[in-house]
Amino acid sequence: MGKGRYLLKRLIYIVFVFFIISILMFWIYKSMPGDPVDIMLGSSKTTMKPDAYQLLYEKTRASLGLDKPLPIQYFAWMGNMLTGHFGYSTQYKQEVVNVIGAPMFNTVLLNLLTMFVVFVISIPLGIATAVRKNGAFDKSVQVLTIVGYSIPTFIIALLAIFLLAVKFPIFPISGVRTAGSTATGLAAIGDMLWHMALPVLVMSISGIGGITRYVRAAMIDVLRMDYIKTARAKGLREKTVIYVHAFRNALIPVVTVTTWWVVGLFGGSIVIESVFLWPGLGKMLIDGLLQRDFAVVLTMQMFYVVLSLAGNVIMDIAYTMVDPRVRLDG
Amino acid sequence: MLNNKKRKRSTAAIAAQRMALGGLPQQEEEEVLQSPLQMVVGSFVRDKIAMTGVILFSFIFLCCIFLPIFFPIDLYYQDVTQANVASGFGMLSVPSQLQGNVQDITVGSSFSVGLDKNGNVYEWGTFPNNKLKNIPSTSETGKLVQVSAGLDHVVAVNEDGQIFTWGNDRMGLATIPMELRSGGNNIKQILAGYQISLALTEEGRMYNWGSDYLLSITYPEGVQGNIEKFAASTNIVMVLTKDGEVVPLTNKPSAYTNIPEEIQGNVVDLALTDECAAAVTADGRVYTWGNNIKKGLNVPEDIQGQVVAVSGGRYHFTAVLKDGTMRGWGDNTHGQASAPSGVTVSSVESGYYANYAITQDGSVTSWGLKGYLMGTDDLGRDLFRRMLVGGRMTMTVGAIAVVISTIIGIVVGGISGYKGGKVDNLLMRLTEIVSSIPFLPFCIILSSILGNSISETQRIILIMCILGLLSWPGIARLVRGSVLAEREQEFVTAAKALGVKEFGIIFRHILPNIITVIIVNATLNFATCMLTESSLSFIGFGVTEPNATWGNMLTGAQNGQVIENYWWRWVFPALMLGICTISINCIGDGLRDAIDPKSKER
Repeated sequence: MGKGRYLLKRLIYIVFVFFIISILMFWIYKSMPGDPVDIMLGSSKTTMKPDAYQLLYEKTRASLGLDKPLPIQYFAWMGNMLTGHFGYSTQYKQEVVNVIGAPMFNTVLLNLLTMFVVFVISIPLGIATAVRKNGAFDKSVQVLTIVGYSIPTFIIALLAIFLLAVKFPIFPISGVRTAGSTATGLAAIGDMLWHMALPVLVMSISGIGGITRYVRAAMIDVLRMDYIKTARAKGLREKTVIYVHAFRNALIPVVTVTTWWVVGLFGGSIVIESVFLWPGLGKMLIDGLLQRDFAVVLTMQMFYVVLSLAGNVIMDIAYTMVDPRVRLDG
Repeated sequence: MLNNKKRKRSTAAIAAQRMALGGLPQQEEEEVLQSPLQMVVGSFVRDKIAMTGVILFSFIFLCCIFLPIFFPIDLYYQDVTQANVASGFGMLSVPSQLQGNVQDITVGSSFSVGLDKNGNVYEWGTFPNNKLKNIPSTSETGKLVQVSAGLDHVVAVNEDGQIFTWGNDRMGLATIPMELRSGGNNIKQILAGYQISLALTEEGRMYNWGSDYLLSITYPEGVQGNIEKFAASTNIVMVLTKDGEVVPLTNKPSAYTNIPEEIQGNVVDLALTDECAAAVTADGRVYTWGNNIKKGLNVPEDIQGQVVAVSGGRYHFTAVLKDGTMRGWGDNTHGQASAPSGVTVSSVESGYYANYAITQDGSVTSWGLKGYLMGTDDLGRDLFRRMLVGGRMTMTVGAIAVVISTIIGIVVGGISGYKGGKVDNLLMRLTEIVSSIPFLPFCIILSSILGNSISETQRIILIMCILGLLSWPGIARLVRGSVLAEREQEFVTAAKALGVKEFGIIFRHILPNIITVIIVNATLNFATCMLTESSLSFIGFGVTEPNATWGNMLTGAQNGQVIENYWWRWVFPALMLGICTISINCIGDGLRDAIDPKSKER
């Protein structure tokens, strides 16, 4: 089976998974408290005569399609979700699709920056520790990484706030930009980066812990292989052996882990966003739940599901790219 | 072949026996015969990091399981007067200068103030307000003779009857009435209460300043100018008139105003707690009335007829008897009602949760609340006790979630791996679907939507189930992989040939061979579940107040002010949670190294 067919098969499968999860989401949607018709009609229940209200109720119900059987309701709902009609937010008093732009940008920015920091630090660190296996440097990094990935992010966040925002007020405690700041252009970007420093630092610490350990383990496995001995015997420079021959092969297990880590990162940033009051999707989700604004909640849920599935697709593509042997018939 | 299998098991049993009997090092020639389990345990015990993890975690675990028996907790208990008290046990450490030289001593919310015979002021304990340390200088005050400490302020009076106050100055606490400020009065009694100050002159006239919002003091006709003594709690002020009658200074009827008729005109001393009142009559009997939630009405029968004076704390009373001994009753959570016996005292001063007694030779005896090991939170709850039950909760939720996920994982993985084919395909697709569900957002939404209309306990069970039901795919994949490897082994073929049923083969024959892998995974999963539960509780979608978990104890510590000023509120829970998860991860790593000798070379 060629790579193309393998990818196609995976894609079809992912659409199937999406279908199943969307049914689950529809169930959540239906089990949300409150009658959507009552919410839509608002105060007219008290102001109108009961029989006239009943008539209006039935009419609205029909116009919302709630009188149809569940499968049809499901497809109508799914169609709306896929075409960007996420519903009306009671909190922001407008269509959800109009309010998710800025938070989505904030969250994606935060997570991309974190990913960048984590990869830039953890991959060289993992390789370095693998090469100097069991040395003093390796041992100390091992201890630090186990601490890094064991401690919950919100505890790291509290520590970081205590050290870098309270004791030594270098970075701001929360928010996305200085209040009342009118800076534009580069200054505005600088201000935002300055505000992002703490959340990114906190999210990076746990990521670096995990990824470094994985890179190290994968590299050690690879460095034991016979083809590494061959490469060295050929007289290749050590750098070429490690970065070209060994690292490419070590990437395969690393890719799997990173994909799951990235998906988890977006989920985990909910906690960080609520600690640092970062106006991203996670904070929007929590606010939506607290304000019982379910249109927003479902949209956020949709985002996380799509992200998770996209993670799967990217993992498959990355697999086929880094591993020429992928001929899975799954 | 079945014999082979049996022999394998019996050596394992012997190994376990040996381990239990003392774990003597094996001799070299026996090394070859070591069973897999023996080897695993042996190399695990030699792993120093993992053993440290085991010891630390077991210690915390045992503390959380057994210590709540000795430190019981009422989850609904709150006390604003004890809010944000720092950790430490200095509340009753009376300065040595006061011993034998004490003029007056008084109990404040979490601090105490003493006055020596020369008019010097001493303060000790933890201070709710830094302004409390601004004691006016002696040159300014002259010789102080009386002092009284309240929630977060102090009132003192000097020889000339001039009144001074320091500490909190909100709500008009600093605006002492003009005639009291200038001096020349005969001040008989002063009292600093909950955001209010009271003073009484020898002429029987009472003054109050500060906020009387909670107390709404009204003086019934003919009372002003006829007051002998007064007592105050956070709910009411009551006075004892010169005719020996008890009069509440309020026009709202309450449990306090149900004064027994038979004592009126005959009362010599009066004391109040936050739920009831006690009066001593001339014949030495104590009469109590009010609410009896903390047993403040249960006066010991054998002291009736001997009491000369009574003093009230927040929920307890201490009485001085004719012979100078003391008896306490009421709430005894901090030992404040256990007055020391065999001491003869001249007076006793109770307040909040502590008591000081001045003995006849002038030294000071104290009992009651010494302090809090880990301080208190913003609602005045003892953090140490909450840490213990919180730890128990965090671990219980984690453990049950792991049990649920492990059982599902074993069943799904076992069947999938053994059966293969279509069943395998179907179950693995299911596994992938569950593992594609974004974990944290889904937990938050489910617990918020389903947890809306259910009780606290049901909510906790719901959290366990959500965690368990969403975290099994990892273990299922692992079990499937191991079963795939094991099912081609000869003992499986033998079991099949003997006609053992499929479920028997999977769960009785294959499972014992892969149990070590499962244990490792479950251990690491336990750490993850504890973390997830803490994160959920931290952002308010897991276990909620008043139930404690390490996660929701940190919820209140999210702002810079708490982080800076009340370090004990976040350092202790964070430390415990951190130590636990690091230990469990170390244990898991150690187990994995022990099982897979290859991974040790990493």
